[in-house]
Amino acid sequence: MNSAEEDKMSEKTLDAELVNQAKQGKMEAFELLVNRYQQKVANVISKFVKDRHEIQDVAQEVFIKVFRALPNFRGDSSFYTWIYRIAVNTSKNHLVSKSRRIQNTQVEFEEAENFSSNEDQRNLDTPDAVYARGELEQTMSKAIATLPDDLKTAIVLREVDGLSYEEIAEKMDCPIGTVRSRIFRARDAIDQAMRPLLQDENTRKQNVR
Amino acid sequence: MSDKSNQNISELMDGELSSDCSKFLLKRMQSDSELKSSWNTYHMLRSCLQKEHDAPLIQDLGSAVVAQLNSHEHQKTTVAKKTNGWLKSFTGGAIAASVALFAVFSFNNMNQIEQTVNQPVFAKTSKQLINPPNATVVRVEQPTGYSRFPSLTPQVQEYINESNNQLTIPVYYNTDYVNDMIIKTRVHNAKYQADE
Repeated sequence: MNSAEEDKMSEKTLDAELVNQAKQGKMEAFELLVNRYQQKVANVISKFVKDRHEIQDVAQEVFIKVFRALPNFRGDSSFYTWIYRIAVNTSKNHLVSKSRRIQNTQVEFEEAENFSSNEDQRNLDTPDAVYARGELEQTMSKAIATLPDDLKTAIVLREVDGLSYEEIAEKMDCPIGTVRSRIFRARDAIDQAMRPLLQDENTRKQNVR
Repeated sequence: MSDKSNQNISELMDGELSSDCSKFLLKRMQSDSELKSSWNTYHMLRSCLQKEHDAPLIQDLGSAVVAQLNSHEHQKTTVAKKTNGWLKSFTGGAIAASVALFAVFSFNNMNQIEQTVNQPVFAKTSKQLINPPNATVVRVEQPTGYSRFPSLTPQVQEYINESNNQLTIPVYYNTDYVNDMIIKTRVHNAKYQADE
């Protein structure tokens, strides 16, 4: 490993740096950390909670707990391992408190006949929100599909196979600088395709607030 | 927003950017919404490609979490301020009440003292006539045998005896009574001398 390799900030160090800044009260650093792990945490929660609307609420609760517990995080395990445990515990607690709430709710006989035990059918999301999220996923998939082959290969080797830039350069038989550029161009193309949708989503959120 | 900055973000999230550049970029990203937005989208793309969407795609949860944390903090400080205000007014009230209470008590005590001082004292016995209670000035009877200088001339001893035999008059008695007493004493002495 040459000195340039050693000088790079690894993903683990990046997390540690953001955690340190968040511990010092820099909320913007914590915001970056949340957005870095939001989807991973949401996926953990979705193993326990089936309601799509509740997943986001529980994810929010998880990150609030994470922020409050940050002073206790010593960095012995990776940041993701730590928040994974918090996400599992919070999801379980959510299910327990929800089952208590359901037990305590009086259900009329007529309502009980129509009451479905399937969580998916009791989705509390508004149709607009469901549509917007569906559109987000569709746009993303479409943008990935329309990427030029060299960009798509580079980004898939990086994100799906988890190869380093050096390994991708070997595989694609091109200089490492080209790999850097291809991966960035792939991401940028998706970013451009998503931007109008994300702006609409932000406007919708602000209107809801 | 430059392509170079976005390329740096791309490299940063892959752990391919130098430490110095990474630290600088992290600082910049925290105050630049465009760069923050790119960071979010790049991570969404990662989640999408890694088939991490059992859950719906979540977008910018960070701002919602930070807003909630800030509102919790705001509520805490508001509650603390309210409690402080209540405590302050309570403390102020308590101090005012204690000062008032002290003033009332001390005023009553002063009255009592003044009352005892101004209250006239009347001699009821012959001893009290000579040494009345609460008298401001009294003459103290000197024992005849007392002297720090026993070798003093007999004239001095005689003077002490004479002064001890004189009527002791407390200073606060009214002048009419005193004059009356003096006249009576002189008349009595004159009669006594005439009889002799």
